Amino acid sequence: MSLLQGTLSLRRFLVMGPVPTEADLLEGLRQDAFRPFEDGLEEERLGWCDWRNLLITPPDADWVSQERFAIFSLRMDTRKVPAALLKARVELRLQTLQKEKDLAFIGKEARISLADEVKAELLVKVLPTPRVSEVAWDLKGGMLWTTASSSKTQSALIGLFIKSFGCELQPLAPLLLAGRLLPKIPVEALMGLEPFDLNLETA
Amino acid sequence: MKPMELIEQGRFLGEEFLLWLWMRGLAEGGTSGLEGDQSACFVDDAVQLVTERGDVKELSLRKGNPAESREAFEALSRGMRPSKAKVRLLSGDMEWTFTLGAAGMEISTLKLPPTQSKDNQGRVADRLFLLEEGMAHLERRFEAFLTARTQDPDELQETMRAWLRQGLEGLVGAGADDLPWQS
Repeated sequence: MSLLQGTLSLRRFLVMGPVPTEADLLEGLRQDAFRPFEDGLEEERLGWCDWRNLLITPPDADWVSQERFAIFSLRMDTRKVPAALLKARVELRLQTLQKEKDLAFIGKEARISLADEVKAELLVKVLPTPRVSEVAWDLKGGMLWTTASSSKTQSALIGLFIKSFGCELQPLAPLLLAGRLLPKIPVEALMGLEPFDLNLETA
Repeated sequence: MKPMELIEQGRFLGEEFLLWLWMRGLAEGGTSGLEGDQSACFVDDAVQLVTERGDVKELSLRKGNPAESREAFEALSRGMRPSKAKVRLLSGDMEWTFTLGAAGMEISTLKLPPTQSKDNQGRVADRLFLLEEGMAHLERRFEAFLTARTQDPDELQETMRAWLRQGLEGLVGAGADDLPWQS
């Protein structure tokens, strides 16, 4: 599923805010480019990458501008240590520690700290799962298409978009689209519409 | 207004638009009713209906010809509303098929007309053009629906109710009086 081939699942957003210059756009993409996980307990990372290849970060400037569109991708990586494995490792480590230091009991704080330590060790070994959503931003039309279909990815996109480019994204749902297509009709008139009663059984 | 509130408040417009597409697909050959527009749009072989009342809250009709089925019209006449439908859009020799969601006008499993370009740049440009072309056809219809919906809502409501009654009696679509083999 991509802009290049196959079937597409798309959401459309209205971009609210001033259109950035090409330099600002590229700077936003560079500043919030995807960066791989490092040491630590982080389980999720997100950032911009090239639409052709998720390993190209920041997006290649020569490929971002496609006619009136800016095309790039949002990459979200997650890495998780299986809970059962973590629990088993922590238990073994606690037993070893108790034996080594001849302790009858290990306090809660020490347990938490040990669990974090084990988790950090295991996270380094876990291969992240990348999820890529393409973005096609019509800079002239103020519209954005994305293949981000889950609400979680859409929220991430909205958050990162405003951070990188200072523009807000509004989902192009029926009322907003209606306002855009029929600007002559006052917003109050659209908001005041009542649903049709099509229930024939009550007639 | 927050985005989710905006989506919720306009959900019924999306549902009624799907129903309008469905109705025009069966009653008007899928035309938009706009002058010079030769495109056609039909509800295809998958419809999802929802309601907040009754024992059944969601009804999924797939395969065969759900748009003309008695099950669909019975559900609609009980107040169920389309929340999703597979749509087929035709213009010249081009065809788009996709599932249209009522709440957010979301498009899924969109199949675009084929492209000729071999390189990435050409392909993406072609596909964006085709995407916009397809959505322009859909938006023109949404605009026509909104115009009718805001100018004379009572008339449109009555037209839809009359169409539902016909559907219950098996008088819409190919099951009606113009079966090709009867001419």
